[in-house]
Amino acid sequence: MNEQIRREFQVLGKPTPKKDAPLKAAGRAEFADDINMPGMLHGKLLRSPHPHARIVSIDTSRAAALPGVRAVITGKDFPGVRYGNLPRTRDYLPLAIDTVRYIGEEVAAVAAIDEDTAEEALDLLQVEYELLPAVFEPEEAMKPGAPQLHAPAPGNISAHTESQFGDVAAAFAEADYVREDVFETHAVKQGMLEPHACVGVWDSFGKATLWSCKMSPYTVWRQLAMGLDIKPSDIRVVQTYVGGGFSGGKQEAMPMDFCALMLSKKTGRPVKFVHTMEEVLTIGHMRHPMKIWLRTGTTKDGRILAQHCKLLANGGAYSSIGGFSIFLAGAMLNLPYRVPNMKFESDRVYTNNGFCGALRGHTVVQMCFARDSQLERIAEDLGIDPLEIRRRNALHDGDVTPNGFRINTFAFDECITRVAEMSGWYSKRGKLPKYRGIGFGCGAHLSGARLMGHSASAAEIRMLEDGTVHLTTGSTDVGQGVETVMSMIAAEVLGVEVDDVNYLKVDSAATPLDPGTFGSRVTLFTGNAVKQAAEEVCRQLAEIAGERMGVDQQDLVFRKREIINRKDERQRVSLKEIVRWAMFQQGRVITGRGTYGASEEKIDFQTGQGNLSPAYNPTACAVEVEVDPETGFVDVVGLWGADDSGTPLNPMAVRGQVIGAAVMSIGHALYENLIRVDGKVMNPSFRDYKMPQATDLPKLADFQHANVITWEPEGPFGAKEAGQGAGTGVIAALANAIYDATGVRLTRLPMTPESILFGLKGVQQQKGNRGP
Amino acid sequence: MTYLKRLPKFEYVSPRSLDEVCGLIAGTSDDEVMLLAGGTDAILQMRRRERVPRRVIGLKGVAELEFVRERADGSLAIGAMTALHTLLSAPAVSQRYDLLRETTAQIGGPELRNVATIGGNIAGALPCADLPPALMTLGARIRLSSQRGDRWLPLDEFFPEFGRTVAEDDELVAEISLPRPASNSGGTYLKFHDRHSMDMTVVGVSAFVVLDDDGRTFRDLKLAYANGAPTVFRARRAETVLRGHALTDEGLEAVAETACAESSPRTSWRANGEYRLELIRALTKRAIRLAWGKASSRKGTKP
Repeated sequence: MNEQIRREFQVLGKPTPKKDAPLKAAGRAEFADDINMPGMLHGKLLRSPHPHARIVSIDTSRAAALPGVRAVITGKDFPGVRYGNLPRTRDYLPLAIDTVRYIGEEVAAVAAIDEDTAEEALDLLQVEYELLPAVFEPEEAMKPGAPQLHAPAPGNISAHTESQFGDVAAAFAEADYVREDVFETHAVKQGMLEPHACVGVWDSFGKATLWSCKMSPYTVWRQLAMGLDIKPSDIRVVQTYVGGGFSGGKQEAMPMDFCALMLSKKTGRPVKFVHTMEEVLTIGHMRHPMKIWLRTGTTKDGRILAQHCKLLANGGAYSSIGGFSIFLAGAMLNLPYRVPNMKFESDRVYTNNGFCGALRGHTVVQMCFARDSQLERIAEDLGIDPLEIRRRNALHDGDVTPNGFRINTFAFDECITRVAEMSGWYSKRGKLPKYRGIGFGCGAHLSGARLMGHSASAAEIRMLEDGTVHLTTGSTDVGQGVETVMSMIAAEVLGVEVDDVNYLKVDSAATPLDPGTFGSRVTLFTGNAVKQAAEEVCRQLAEIAGERMGVDQQDLVFRKREIINRKDERQRVSLKEIVRWAMFQQGRVITGRGTYGASEEKIDFQTGQGNLSPAYNPTACAVEVEVDPETGFVDVVGLWGADDSGTPLNPMAVRGQVIGAAVMSIGHALYENLIRVDGKVMNPSFRDYKMPQATDLPKLADFQHANVITWEPEGPFGAKEAGQGAGTGVIAALANAIYDATGVRLTRLPMTPESILFGLKGVQQQKGNRGP
Repeated sequence: MTYLKRLPKFEYVSPRSLDEVCGLIAGTSDDEVMLLAGGTDAILQMRRRERVPRRVIGLKGVAELEFVRERADGSLAIGAMTALHTLLSAPAVSQRYDLLRETTAQIGGPELRNVATIGGNIAGALPCADLPPALMTLGARIRLSSQRGDRWLPLDEFFPEFGRTVAEDDELVAEISLPRPASNSGGTYLKFHDRHSMDMTVVGVSAFVVLDDDGRTFRDLKLAYANGAPTVFRARRAETVLRGHALTDEGLEAVAETACAESSPRTSWRANGEYRLELIRALTKRAIRLAWGKASSRKGTKP
């Protein structure tokens, strides 16, 4: 049945180039920084040079007097209402009012006739600070007597979660084998190529409009209303092209957004802000550095009986979505394995660093690094093949995890098999030359989370008289291909070409409300809504066509821009003709609406119980490395991954996504490291913040990916997520491969040549001590 | 915050001749006047406000500083304003100065090599600069020009301490001269950085080997290092260890050991000194082996 449906796809399932590719390749896509308006001013932000200080006074007079400066604002120009995500974690202000909590925090803003003048004005702003003691490490921040960052958070605990499923103590007592390990991860940045940019206009009617490269425009919309203390209906957020998101700040309202609007209000002119890459790399939004203590108990044959995890996350100065970040880490601790008893305790701690939130794979990436590194050690200790231990513990279709995840489709076993085949695992493992190694790593992801607040998506389709389709949703294309895949879904249902569908960017004044683009939710949530909207349009058109053709509307199918009687295919009418007849003769507006809620089930965020997502996807990968034993330098010579992304709707985009996710994890594991000394970022440039380049990656022939195709009943046309899962197993695979090549077990990221070289010396010394 | 700011305000002058340049810098101090070659470092220094010159003298229009020329005595003369890309495409460089070609090709990407100059890479006096080690092992001499006249000195003697050169305030690096390499010689520059390409040098080693006529022993070995100490330097004691000897594992270990003893790499957030020493040890051995191999394969070919 599933196979049959797939074979019958008209549009879906075929590799389809992204619709905006020609525009972007030709440099004609308009990004926020490309917007120019008459009389537009340029804004710049003054940032704190101190990790923790009280603002005693700000003298703006000299800056305001500089010729060309039109307005200067400070935190006091805003209503002083804190904004943020969850009600209890609203700790952002548009500009600091009395306290700065990290180096780079926004203190004041200037609008001037050009960027240079605005920047010159920053030099003239005089801020008197009273320095406060600062704290950078979570352990230090939790100690009694440590500097306190936020009054409502004693002990600097920004968020805490605890959950327990099954009888963990009994399971450990019963276990044949127990081991504990500690893993540490570091700060990495999103590294999107388009820095944050916006243009704000506060018009004379009191309406504020922001054009910006937002991943989640409606989140921005709400946060702007909160921080400006005005009605959401007085705010309009218009999405521009997004040059990469990765949750690097484009999912929220940022100080620049508030300042563009407030400076526009003061000057009556449009105001543009564009961050420099140095600002992007200095300010908040990055992956949480974590210490992960993990204890696992198994039977002799390697079946996991219990896992107990304690996690300490360095949250930085503000909450962002950190509360959910650590919740997710615990919720996803077990996937893709069957863990009957599990316990999770975690703290996210405020420190005087840039703040942390989500980054592709969110906190699942760190957990998979810890868990799949440890699993490999367990396999070694118990003498079990590393693939076999994974198979023995694999989740399967139809499983319900102890925390309530209902697993519909989960072709994990087959992913393992495919990776073993593609990588030549059994002909390589243990048989490679010295200092060459191969390692395995697995992970999983969810296709959007059911959140407490807003989690439903909607779509609206309107037929135009030329037979083309006007499609709006609240989901944004951030480069991952949403525009194309949503157009494909609509085209499939309506029997038109992909190019007949016009997918509009989000405009809060016109498009349906949506939580935004994050958590791999768009294909499944918004995709279902689009499918439903298109089906509704078909129903309306079939009714009209059926009447006109004298055919039972149940017998009509939509194909190749025609409506056809399936019982007698000679009876057909063009889609356009029906649309025009309906419009011109009946005055009808052919629109269809669709929704996807997935909210009938509530998650208990206190206990962690509940089915967090409609669908879950497993991933497996093998990485082959060669290590230079004299320098510790690692060459990633091959990477083979397999994912169950359900039914890939646009295989070309899926391939781009999974390779992209894997590459980001290679960067995280080996190269990228936001180095901070006393809260100061030492390497805020792409010269020094080292993202992997083409030369750092395996050759394309050795960089393979396979889709294990399943038909996810919850997904539109069987689809699940593809953008994040594929990166989750890569770091552990790399650690395991380096261990295979050198005998050096790295539990701390990044895996630098230095740590490998000195690790090798340790290994050699141990061998020497053992004697011949 | 050390944000890259807008450029500071300065007066920009663009002289057309070396005489004019010398006139412009005569009697000025380094703080007041800055010479701008390719600008790949200097612009960043200005944007970080590490240098705030009153006047910037752009050397781009000084045509007489841009040349690659073989002299009658067999040496190679390179104008200080020669871009790295020009060096790479000069036939004399690719035919006779493989070490220089190889080193230049490893610096940055094409965009950077189109603007960065050999003179700037030297005069910037950065310990991580890649060309000075290679040029030192090739026996480079440099010409400093001023209104007072020219003087020549070996490049080895140009960097007295971190970030400084022995050039007076009124002098500029005008020319680099390389003797023609012996026929049975070969050199290589190995550098380590975190990524595979386009990255800052953590440690760089240049080794230049001249074989004896029989091709079995070292007549000469020169070694110079980037980021091995506060300045680029030659490891003179290490260079003597193998002189007159054949290539052996023990010999290489001894050279590497001596080179480490002569080095004093710093610990910074980029890399630990201890690790840099390990790199010096490993790359010294590797570079000498490679240079030896190149010298051996060139033996008997016409210079």
